[in-house]
Amino acid sequence: MGSKKLRVVVPIAILVLAAVGFAAGLQTGTLSAFGWNDLVLLCPIGALATMIASGTVIPRAVVSLVFVVIACLLVGRAFCGWLCPVPVVSKIRLLWRKRPEKRSGPKGGAPANLSTSEQDGRCCENCSRCEDSSGKLEKRGPVDSRHVVLGGVLLSAVIFGFPVFCLICPLGLVFASVFLVMLLFSGGDITWSVIVVPALLLIEVVFFRKWCSHICPVSALLSLIGKGNRTFRPAVDKNACIESSRGVECGLCAKACEREGVGINPRKPEKGTSLSECTRCRACVDACPAHAISLPFVDRNKRFSSERANDEDMAGKD
Amino acid sequence: MSASEQESAVAAEGRVPRGLTRRDLFMGAGGVAVLMGLGCVKFADAKPVVRPPGGQDESRLISSCIRCERCVEACPRDIIRPAHIEDGIVTARTPQLCFDEGWCDWCGSQEGGVPLCSAACPTLALGPAGGSTPDDVLGIARITEDWCLAYRLIGCRYCYDACEYQAIVLDDADRPHVVSDACNGCGACECACVSLQSGALVEGATARAITVVPLEAEEVA
Repeated sequence: MGSKKLRVVVPIAILVLAAVGFAAGLQTGTLSAFGWNDLVLLCPIGALATMIASGTVIPRAVVSLVFVVIACLLVGRAFCGWLCPVPVVSKIRLLWRKRPEKRSGPKGGAPANLSTSEQDGRCCENCSRCEDSSGKLEKRGPVDSRHVVLGGVLLSAVIFGFPVFCLICPLGLVFASVFLVMLLFSGGDITWSVIVVPALLLIEVVFFRKWCSHICPVSALLSLIGKGNRTFRPAVDKNACIESSRGVECGLCAKACEREGVGINPRKPEKGTSLSECTRCRACVDACPAHAISLPFVDRNKRFSSERANDEDMAGKD
Repeated sequence: MSASEQESAVAAEGRVPRGLTRRDLFMGAGGVAVLMGLGCVKFADAKPVVRPPGGQDESRLISSCIRCERCVEACPRDIIRPAHIEDGIVTARTPQLCFDEGWCDWCGSQEGGVPLCSAACPTLALGPAGGSTPDDVLGIARITEDWCLAYRLIGCRYCYDACEYQAIVLDDADRPHVVSDACNGCGACECACVSLQSGALVEGATARAITVVPLEAEEVA
């Protein structure tokens, strides 16, 4: 199973696990507070907001925050790419948006893409999408709208004395939607929430299609902590990469990342979005025709190349 | 008000850090404005609801509850439900007791007196206010006499039989009355009440004839 499919299957599996746990009383919880008995991993935003709002130190919230920081230092924003159900829910919009584009895709493929499509047949089916996304993805600085929203989330908790964002958090709304439907059928719990909650969720993630990259405060927090992350980042084997070793124009890895809405250029990290935004989605790994990209614990290649660069510098001086 | 203040505050801040584009700034400020507007719903009227044990300090519960619904899962009697959006936007999805098919015994028989909902709450929204024993009052039973079968002198006494705390007494005509000092809002009477099933007798009833209401609601009434 490819990582693209797996990244849909894993969040759905978590959702199913939570639903089964809810029905069977296993107390697995939701991603807002996942775990068993006292071993609970709280959502870091919820943990921060409730501690600020109630003005108390909550032990399980502190432990969760420490865990999140450690996990994020290790794998960056992998949560966004692999566990969060919101990107999966937002795929609903593909049902009516992408289909007509896909059909016209092969015909409308720009000549610029021909060179790449020769190298990798897989690109063809996505050509229109490459084009579509590459035009819209703007360059962003180290701080963006998500971080402003994150500030607003914490500030609103201070001002109003309750975790305001929790009311509309799409992550919570996903699980709430499932539970509300289950309660409707199992317990006859009739309420407008059954309609309002999923509707709000759809408005957030389907109509605001940039929720994850432009609004989500969880994503903002992880990207901030992720700035300290140095492990499991995409690394390009310069000897295998056809662009580095043979000088052929490729750039499929960067295009794959743009399609995911992130926009990192794995070959030249300084050119695209910061590597701290990487969700470990493995789109670049899968896209690389030369299989030159991997997510190693430490980027040994980079160390070698910097050593080599030093050597070259020395050679230049001589 | 605070929303526009916040916007301008963010706008003033926004120019300082390098790399925050104008587009990002507007989008972020929009998000902040929505959050500030949403925060104001706290001041809107909310219908008080009966909280699980340990959740009687309403401001504490609202400030800490992240709507994770662990308590809903934890309840062995399945009487905790996410509150409805009809009860208020802030109240929605916070825990509420529903006595349709069960009542609260503070988990006395199973957990030696530690309610599982309070134990499960990861943010201490339930728990710190006490509420670990039946002495901690959840609410109080209220009888709607128009809907009560006993008030039609039918001789129904299900609620009286269900009460474990001698909080319901019968008068000379066998009509039930709630003893406020003895009632702790466990909900056994509401659970036992058959008035709604006897719809032909009590026309227009929207709830059972005896229901547990939160103390705040009782004070208002």
